[in-house]
Amino acid sequence: MDNGTSNSASENETITLKSCDGIEFHIDARIANRYTLLNNWNGGESACIPNVNGKVLEKVLEWCEHHINDPQLNCGDDDSRRRNTIIEEWDENFLSCDQDMLFEIILAANYLEIKPLLDLGCKTVANMMKSKSPEEIRSAFNIDNDYTPEEEEQFRKENEWAEDY
Amino acid sequence: MIKIPNECLIEIFNNFQEDYITLFSCLLVSRQWCRIIVPILWSRPTDDFGDKRIIRIYLFALNVEEQALLIPFNIILPKNYPKPLFEYSTYTTSIGFYLTEGIENWLIDEGYGTDKSHYSIIIDYERVDDDDEPVSAVKCSLIKMLLRTSKKIKYFSLTKTNNKLIFENLYANTTITELSIEDIHFDSAEIKELMEFISLYDYKVKYKKINGLWKLLSHHIS
Repeated sequence: MDNGTSNSASENETITLKSCDGIEFHIDARIANRYTLLNNWNGGESACIPNVNGKVLEKVLEWCEHHINDPQLNCGDDDSRRRNTIIEEWDENFLSCDQDMLFEIILAANYLEIKPLLDLGCKTVANMMKSKSPEEIRSAFNIDNDYTPEEEEQFRKENEWAEDY
Repeated sequence: MIKIPNECLIEIFNNFQEDYITLFSCLLVSRQWCRIIVPILWSRPTDDFGDKRIIRIYLFALNVEEQALLIPFNIILPKNYPKPLFEYSTYTTSIGFYLTEGIENWLIDEGYGTDKSHYSIIIDYERVDDDDEPVSAVKCSLIKMLLRTSKKIKYFSLTKTNNKLIFENLYANTTITELSIEDIHFDSAEIKELMEFISLYDYKVKYKKINGLWKLLSHHIS
């Protein structure tokens, strides 16, 4: 909360976070220092992070801990974040969990404003869609086709130029 | 199954900025997805593609005044097509270099250029006939329409045959921040005309790049 004190967080300092189902995590204060929103729930005695359960929070914090020494990216620079399309091996293994967990991690990263993890999760999902047909994507992500056949046909015609490039 | 909210879907789809095939697949997945993807897919189609199908869709958006520009050339708008499901032109952020090529391809397809060599397809920068009047008319009407319907245009590739009409509309659209003149000679009639308009409307110019261009041209001509 107070950036003045958190900036000076040393290696041994810890803060306590509590998930929405009451599980406490004691983490390196430098993590909370990087991701401002985590700081808001410091002191888990009474406060807990809504919407994020212990299982997901554990994964998110595991990722944050592994990346504690990464250079800080300028969050405003969307292009530079996007251009970096390579996923590190550790991250790839980390996110090769079941799809529900992957989506939960994306939601939590979005909610907690942990941009690099959000980008990574989105990139992973994007790779799962790449070069697939609409039917394949629907079945991979369990999505119902809610177009009428006529509508789908017209929509296909109006946009079919994109298929050729 | 966990539902991904739109804000995260946008992040996911933004990974496909140049991957039109995947964007096309995602577009057909569901209605929720298409609403997010259409603006991405239609943001800069004329930057890279001179596709007649893009032109055909754009032509549906012409209003009466813009259609009137085509009358002297007996250009008839596509018929027997249902009204497009989206107002695609409103998502344009760029009037790209390949707009002209798309128009030429559309005209050939509609049977306007009976002599195909007249409209022969362009290889890179070797435009065959820039002064072709039907091409110019369609281009004017489309640019006018794009400047009118899209409030997001940032980039405008100024090519030959952009006349007074275009310049006037250029000033009505204040979102443009980048003007490209790669196709035009500095001492061409178009540039002189553009300069006149810039000096006329100078107080309105908000665009950094156009200002830069103005200085460059003033220097060049003086």
